[in-house]
Amino acid sequence: MNDMRLMERSAMTNDVKISASQVQVFYGESHAIKDVNVDILDKTVTAFIGPSGCGKSTFLRCLNRMNDTIDICRVEGRITLDGEDIYDREVDPVQLRARVGMVFQKPNPFPKSIYDNVAYGPKIHGQVRSRDELDEVVEKSLRRAALWDEVKDRLSAPGTGLSGGQQQRLCIARAVATSPEVLLMDEPCSALDPIATAQVEELIDELREQFSVVIVTHSMQQAARVSQRTAFFHLGNLVEYGETGQIFTNPGDPRTESYITGRIG
Amino acid sequence: MSVPLLLLIVLALGLAGFFAGRMRALSVAGGDLRNLHSLPGFYGWSVAILASAPAILVMVIWIAVQPIVIDRSVSAMIPETAISDGSTRDLVMADVRRIAEGLDQAVAAGALTPDGASNIRAGLSDVRGRLAEVGVALGANVSSESLRAAQSYRSGLAAGRLGMTAVVLALALGGLGYGLARITPRFRARNTVELAVRMGLILCSMIAIATTVGIVLSMVFETVNFFGQYPWQDFFFGIEWSPNFRGNSSLGVLPLLWGTMYVSAIALSVAVPVGLFSAIYLSEYAGPKFRAVVKPAIEVLAGIPTIVYGLFALITVGPLLRDYIAQPLGLGDSGSSVMTAGLVMGVMIIPFVSSLSDDIINAVPQSLRDGSLALGATNSETIRQVILPAALPGIVGAVLLAASRAIGETMIVVLGAGAAARMSLNPFEAMTTMTVKIVSQLTGDTDFAAPETLVAFALGLTLFVITLALNIVALWIVRTYREQYE
Repeated sequence: MNDMRLMERSAMTNDVKISASQVQVFYGESHAIKDVNVDILDKTVTAFIGPSGCGKSTFLRCLNRMNDTIDICRVEGRITLDGEDIYDREVDPVQLRARVGMVFQKPNPFPKSIYDNVAYGPKIHGQVRSRDELDEVVEKSLRRAALWDEVKDRLSAPGTGLSGGQQQRLCIARAVATSPEVLLMDEPCSALDPIATAQVEELIDELREQFSVVIVTHSMQQAARVSQRTAFFHLGNLVEYGETGQIFTNPGDPRTESYITGRIG
Repeated sequence: MSVPLLLLIVLALGLAGFFAGRMRALSVAGGDLRNLHSLPGFYGWSVAILASAPAILVMVIWIAVQPIVIDRSVSAMIPETAISDGSTRDLVMADVRRIAEGLDQAVAAGALTPDGASNIRAGLSDVRGRLAEVGVALGANVSSESLRAAQSYRSGLAAGRLGMTAVVLALALGGLGYGLARITPRFRARNTVELAVRMGLILCSMIAIATTVGIVLSMVFETVNFFGQYPWQDFFFGIEWSPNFRGNSSLGVLPLLWGTMYVSAIALSVAVPVGLFSAIYLSEYAGPKFRAVVKPAIEVLAGIPTIVYGLFALITVGPLLRDYIAQPLGLGDSGSSVMTAGLVMGVMIIPFVSSLSDDIINAVPQSLRDGSLALGATNSETIRQVILPAALPGIVGAVLLAASRAIGETMIVVLGAGAAARMSLNPFEAMTTMTVKIVSQLTGDTDFAAPETLVAFALGLTLFVITLALNIVALWIVRTYREQYE
C-alpha cells in the first residue's frame, strides 16, 4: 500500500448525509450491533471493514431498512438521512429505498432483458414520462456503470446471460438508474475475478462524484484503494472510525491494528 | 419344470453365486483385502448378477415368444376346409387350445394315461365325452383335424417347456461358472456391478416409455378398426351424438368435444385465479404458522375421491344453482348442468394449481426479491414484475397439469353435468364429455365389433391427441416466454 497516497486522499466534503446514533440490532435473542454511532459523509466513499460476523453487513442493511424483511430482526436507536429519522412511522421504507440504493454481494440481475433490468426502478417510481426519456436514463445509467459499450448492441438480451463482472455492473447501473442519494454496497466484488473487481472499484471512485457510497468489504486492500473514510467493526461494536489513511497507517485502537496487520480476523 | 420353480432355482443359483464369489475373492486375495480391486461384496454381486440376470431375461423373452410360435405352427395345420361356415380360424384355434388343456387335465385327473392321451383318436373314442368327465366342456364334437392340431399343440408346449428349462438352467450355471472363473484380484468387480445397475435403471425407464407406446398402439388399432366401419368425416365433423345399438348411429364427436372444453374451461377459470392467488398469499405474505396450517388443508382437497365431489355436485351445488340462478334468470330448470360440474371440478383442481405454484414461487431465489425491494419496489410490484415472470414456466406447468385433470375427469361430470350430448352455449344446461361417453359405450353388454363400441377408442385417442397438443403448446409458451434465473 502506498502510504503517501493514502495520506493525501481526503474527503471532499464534510456534509453529513447519514447519521446513526446509539444503534442496536437484535436478531431474536442475540445482540448483533451494539451502540454504533457513525456519521457518513456526502460524496464520500465510506468502507466498513472487520472480520466475518462482526455485524458490518447487518448495519449496512439498517441504512435502507432492508432488515425489515427479516421477521426476527429488531432495530433500536436513531438513524437519520439528511436529518430525518428513517425509522420514523411517517417514513415509507419503499420511498426510503428509492433514495438509498443497494448492490448485493452476489450479482442478482432480474431474469429480464438488460434494458428492462435498468428501466425497472425508473418505471415503478414513475420517474420518466416517455419512452425516449427512459431510453436516455437507461443509457446514462449503463454508461455510468461502464457497461454501455459492452451491451449497447444487445440491450434486449437477458441480463442473466452476462458474465459475473458485467452482471454486477448491471446491478450497479440498475441501482444508479433510480438516482439515489446514497449507494450501499455489500461486498460487491466478492464474487468477481480481479479484473472485474478492478473495473468495479474504478466505478466506485467515479460514483463518488454524485453519491455517498458505503461499501462493506472483506478486503483491506480494497478498503484502502477505494475509500476516503473507514469504519472498523468487531464483534458488533464500532471500534474505530476515521480517515482511511489514518486508520491504515496510524490506528488508534489496538484491535484495529491487530486486524490490519493480520493478527485477528 | 414350472416357471415359478425355475425362477426360484435361478434365484437360488444367484444367491449361491453371491456367497461363492465373495469367498473366492477372499481366497484369491490371500486374506488381504488390500490386494483386491473392489470390496468382496462386489465380487459376490458380479457373480450373482451374471448367474441370474441373463437367465431371467431369456426366460421372460421365451415366455413371451413361445405362444406366438406354437400358435402359428399349429394354426398352419388346420386346413381351410376344417373351418365351418360362420366360424373363424380364431374360434377353431380356441377350440384346439381347450382340447389340449382338456387332455392335460384328463391326464392329471388320472382319467387318461399320458400315452393314452397322446394316442387318442377322434374316430375311435368319444373325446368329447371323456373330456366332459374331467370337467372340460366342449361346444362341438372333436374333429380329427382339431384333435391332431391339439396333439401338436400339446407336444409343442411340452417341447417348449423342456427347451426353456434346459436353456435357462444352462445359462444360469454357465453364468455362475464364468463369473467365478473371472474373479482375480485385478478384476474390476465394482465397475462391472455399477454397469449392471445402470442397465437396470435404463430398463426401468424403458418400461414407462414402452407402456405409453403400447397404450397408443392399442388405441390406434381399435381406432383404425372403427374408421373402417364408420366414416371419419362424420366422426370428426358430426354435430349429433346418438349411438344406437341396432345400427344407424350418429357418432359425431363435436358435441362431446364441446362439452369437454366447456366444463374444463369453467373449471380452470375457477381454479387458476383462486389457486394462483392463494399460492401467492401463502408464499409471499403468510406467516409460517398460518402457512403450516393452510397449505396441508388445501392439499386435503386433492385427496377427496372424485365420486365424493360428484355427490356434492349432485345433491348440493346442482340444486342450488338451479333454484337461485338458473330458474330466476330463466336459463333452464335442469339440476345437472355444465356450470355445476365445472364449479365443483374447479374446486377439485385448486390444490394442483396452488400447491405446485407455491413450491415454484418459493423456489425463486431470495436475492431477486432483495434486489427488487432494494430498488424501492413494494411487495406487490416485486411479485408482479419479478417473481411471477421468473416462476412462469412452472406455473404454466401447474395449470397444464390441472387442465389435463379437468379434461380427463369423469365422475364429477356424470353426476354434475348429466349424460346428454348437446351443443349449447347456456352453461345451465346438461351436457356431457368425452370421458363419460367412453365409459357409457364400454359398460354393459358390448359387442366389440360394432362401431358403437369401437367409437370409445376413437374418443380415447382424440382425447390423448388433445392433451398431447396442449402439452406441446405449453412447452412452446414456456420456452418462448421464460425468464431464466440460476
